[in-house]
Amino acid sequence: MGKFSFNEEAVKNLKITDTSVLERLIDFEHARKWHLSKDRSRKDKRMSLKEAVAEYVHDNDIMTDGGFCYVRTSIQSYFEVIRQQKKNLQFCSSPNTNHSYMINAGCARYSHNSYLGAEMRGIDRNYTRQLKAGKVTILSEWSHGTMAQGFKAAQLGLPGVFSKQLLGSDMIKYNPYVKVMQNPMRSDPDPVAYIPAIYPDVSIIHVHAADKKGNARFFGPAINDIAMAAATRKLIITAEEIVPESDIRNNNKGVSIPAMYVDAVVELPYGAVPGQMPGCYYWSRQWWEMAFRFGMKSDENFQKFLDYWVFGVKDQYEFIEKLGGSKWIAESRRLTKAEEYDNEDEGVDFNYEEFQGDWPEDITKMKFY
Amino acid sequence: MGNRSDKPMNPLELLAYVLAKEIKDHEVVYIGTGLPMVAGILARKTHAPNIVLVYESGAQDPMEGGMPWSVGGPATWRKSPLILEMSYSFGQIYNGYVDKAFLGFAQIDMYGNVNTHMIGKDFLKPDHRLTGSGGNNDLSSLAENMILVGLQSPQKFVPRVDFITSPGFIDGGDSRQKAGLLGKGPVTVITQAAVFDFEPETKRMRVKSLHPGVSFDLCQLACGFELVKPAGDIPVTEVPSKEILEIIRNDVDPRGVFTSIPGM
Repeated sequence: MGKFSFNEEAVKNLKITDTSVLERLIDFEHARKWHLSKDRSRKDKRMSLKEAVAEYVHDNDIMTDGGFCYVRTSIQSYFEVIRQQKKNLQFCSSPNTNHSYMINAGCARYSHNSYLGAEMRGIDRNYTRQLKAGKVTILSEWSHGTMAQGFKAAQLGLPGVFSKQLLGSDMIKYNPYVKVMQNPMRSDPDPVAYIPAIYPDVSIIHVHAADKKGNARFFGPAINDIAMAAATRKLIITAEEIVPESDIRNNNKGVSIPAMYVDAVVELPYGAVPGQMPGCYYWSRQWWEMAFRFGMKSDENFQKFLDYWVFGVKDQYEFIEKLGGSKWIAESRRLTKAEEYDNEDEGVDFNYEEFQGDWPEDITKMKFY
Repeated sequence: MGNRSDKPMNPLELLAYVLAKEIKDHEVVYIGTGLPMVAGILARKTHAPNIVLVYESGAQDPMEGGMPWSVGGPATWRKSPLILEMSYSFGQIYNGYVDKAFLGFAQIDMYGNVNTHMIGKDFLKPDHRLTGSGGNNDLSSLAENMILVGLQSPQKFVPRVDFITSPGFIDGGDSRQKAGLLGKGPVTVITQAAVFDFEPETKRMRVKSLHPGVSFDLCQLACGFELVKPAGDIPVTEVPSKEILEIIRNDVDPRGVFTSIPGM
């Protein structure tokens, strides 16, 4: 008998035979012990992305997808995880968009889902295929709000929270971590859902600026990243730029992540490409259309897609060369500044040629901005 | 998509307009991805310039402008006074700061239960795995007024959804209340054929108004369960003026991502 009492109906419905696979996500004592043993020295934590992924992302880890689908998301770091062929990762995120292609690459094996896909880009047909083929196993189903509550409970130092979400839904039957209870402070019937604090193993969070010790600053929607940074056992910060500590201390008005959480600091300009980075660059809309309209059609298509975009490049700079190089950088910066109203140029044109579905005859001629 | 200005109104444009009309000026509205975004932007550009839009990423109250490409993108937080986190933005609904929530569905049933998880009988081996909840469940659990929008067909309007992502009135009657959920539940469902509400006692879906050219029988044909027919004449849905149509086509969705139909 383990120390956890999971929602038994959900364990049964999900056909999880060995519940030990579920334990670490809510193992508070394990996470606390881990945090207590972290190196407290105010040292320079900078290293390359290759080194950070090699040292801190391990097979079987519970990993998160930061940002929001493709807004300030560590996509270039995930590509490095793929290139290093990490295995059997659990993904626990809200949204959980980017773990789909990591299943094809053999990296992601388990899902704690709250959302798959990329909004209007289309249904993630790839995930359906991998699920049917038994290449990915669902361990829990959440809503955005309740997974956010799980991360937030961890950040606030709470065993869990009572929520009014998930009640009456079928997700209760497919989430081993959630139980419906009576509100202890009410005398009338008042069902509430108990959401435990959740603790991933490793998170990679992309920010605008960090100092060499790991104090980090970003702007735009925080999604779950501040809570996740507090909860996770291992944290890699990747930053558009490394700034002096005095810069962080003198400009401490923004959202920030304290250095004590951080294990590795990676200077990674364009780390969120081909997603959007507030103030820096816009999505490559065509790239996402290519992923959904071409890549997701079949395993063969996805392999071709990964071979070209992930295995065919060694870093983000080579990736950007394929998108269109410095011209792509300039155009995508112009687009994001215009949409943020940080650009007076009335002439910025958001029209573009949509990707139609077939791999182009000469992909080097295709426009990605 | 080309020049749409000389074309007659299509059903998606009507849908966007009807949805936008649900929004009153000065309300705080929570917006899901897709058609709800069109409605929010349209309302702001026409009859409701002072609404506050809230998005699940934590983004809220952006300056007015074009359509967001994503609910986390810059158009949802441009020059916002404050940008929050996901858990906080749902907390705003729980605490009573949001008047209406707008969301889509893949399947809906006669009690307004919504499925965005999967189509099929076996959850572990579905015919189609869909997005899952996202914020859909949170909004339907917490919102004071939930407004649902989507396309109507017998495949989408089913007697019982394959998976309850977001409870509406669950099994009808007072079952929503008994489950402990907040708010009034789904109050309005809008499709390309009609506007629906729910019969107060049974909580079964009822036709509220029919779009021009749609009869009750036609509407019923496009539905996989028996619709409740209201007493008396069924009103015809108000259609957008030429001016509003121009705003949809030129300012709200100029690329026709949500409001154009191939061949129309």
